[in-house]
Amino acid sequence: MSSLPFADPIFGIPSWLDIIVRVIVAALVLTVIVIYATYGERKLLGRFQQRLGPMKTGPWGLWQGVADAVKLVGKEDIRPNNADRWVFEFAPYLTFIPIFVTLVTLPVAQEWGIRNLSLGLFFVFAVMGLNIVGIVMAGLGSGNKYALLGGVRAAAQMISYEIPLVISLLSVTMVAGTLDLNLIAAMQSLSPDEGQHAPFIALQPLAFLIFFTAMLSELHRAPFDIPVAESEVVGGYFVEYSGIRWSMFQLAEYASLFAWAIFGSVVFLGGWAVPGPDTFNLGSWWGPDWAWHAAFTIVKALLWFVVIVWIRATVPRLRIDQLMNFCWKVLLPLSLVQFLMTGFAVVYEWPEWVMAITSAAGAAVLIAIIIRRALRKPKNTLVGSYRRAQVPVQ
Amino acid sequence: MATEVLWWIFAVAIVVTSAGVVLSGSVIHSAIWLILSLAGIGAMYLFLTVEFLALVQFLIYGGAVTVLILLALMLTRMGAGGKPDRVTGGQAPFAALVGAGLFVVLFGVVIGTDWGDVPDAPSNIPIEAISDVLFREFGAPFVIASVLLLVALVGAIILARQEEGD
Repeated sequence: MSSLPFADPIFGIPSWLDIIVRVIVAALVLTVIVIYATYGERKLLGRFQQRLGPMKTGPWGLWQGVADAVKLVGKEDIRPNNADRWVFEFAPYLTFIPIFVTLVTLPVAQEWGIRNLSLGLFFVFAVMGLNIVGIVMAGLGSGNKYALLGGVRAAAQMISYEIPLVISLLSVTMVAGTLDLNLIAAMQSLSPDEGQHAPFIALQPLAFLIFFTAMLSELHRAPFDIPVAESEVVGGYFVEYSGIRWSMFQLAEYASLFAWAIFGSVVFLGGWAVPGPDTFNLGSWWGPDWAWHAAFTIVKALLWFVVIVWIRATVPRLRIDQLMNFCWKVLLPLSLVQFLMTGFAVVYEWPEWVMAITSAAGAAVLIAIIIRRALRKPKNTLVGSYRRAQVPVQ
Repeated sequence: MATEVLWWIFAVAIVVTSAGVVLSGSVIHSAIWLILSLAGIGAMYLFLTVEFLALVQFLIYGGAVTVLILLALMLTRMGAGGKPDRVTGGQAPFAALVGAGLFVVLFGVVIGTDWGDVPDAPSNIPIEAISDVLFREFGAPFVIASVLLLVALVGAIILARQEEGD
């Protein structure tokens, strides 16, 4: 299959200007997305909790995010006296920049993106991993014990969950045979042609579940939000930040949420690929091709976002030992099982339904383990004795 | 031309950040300078068009190793604000001796080596070629290295468990 580069320089301008234009557009779009992601999350959480969410600012509260952004920019920027000055001040940038850099290679449509890299998939998680540095710096530099605890928790959690995340992605790339995100999206079109597959979520449900869980942990989203748990470490690593610097962390959080959502939907759900054979061409029916592609990506990424918020509203927070046990004793072995199964299937050229069924069996095992762990009675721990003490006396 | 200018900017940045590792007063600042220095080397790999190596540099050194260093620093005893103990008088002459000796050896090797011209410097190596070499030609060393890592992992777990008293 030939390579699919992104569109030539737009409007025939020189390529260095073209890349600057693309980066600026991506930055602006990202800011708008983040503002409305916070609004969307508050709305969804409100509905999950049987209330309305923001309603007062503008119609249906649509201007709430904008108002919050203006408030944050105008807020006083406080630096604690015993903070390590430069570490404290640069930490928000080092948290945000890696996430912004990953946007370079995310294909929103076949021809939409900043640059198409042949190592795109590797690039995304290699660069995304760098934001641990900013988080640890924020924890160390704030001169606050809660921030330090939050930073240590975040680092331990993110490094641990990166391993099953990467192994589950490796299983996908073994089938895909490429690291180019645009090619990975293009090959998940359900068409019977040579080199075309079903979306990888159907081919490797186990890898998808592992990826999704590990991604929640990388994002510090519930139920893996102990680094930023209000009731335990006040606010986590950014407890001392306020105003514009705090909003940098917020921007980083929601930007990485959307970067992961687009990345995950490209890798597992087919991204912009239109399901069906090549002759089934939506662009010839109505509207331009790129609009259909972009619409597919955006709908999939929004679905991803809604599921993440849904999980946040449903699942209670894990304890630190449960979190680490789950990563090292459940996710890591199962991701290795998926890796081995995919390896056998690829090397011995087993038909794809074999891969799909074995992986689905693995996914069933994972779900069974999660349910069993969730329903397990606590052992004789403080929690257990506390619960027994709560039983009403007859 | 533009690449050359950028190359020099990053070369200077790497030297400055490396000096920062040595000269900064607190260990945490040293670790952060080290991250910047290693990231600069990763950017250098990009200019040499070995993207895979650059990304491995970012992932392993930028993400994992330096965070490990920072975590280890958190566990050490530090005063408020990350100020470490100064190197005390007894150790200082030996430290200076080792540092100067290492500098002389490295400098001598760099000056003494005939770098020559490399006419066929590798550029734009596709990832498939790297994986072919890694898993076909050097398959056995790869497996041995991974066994070594596994042994280290198991050893670390055993040591940690003994400390817990299990």
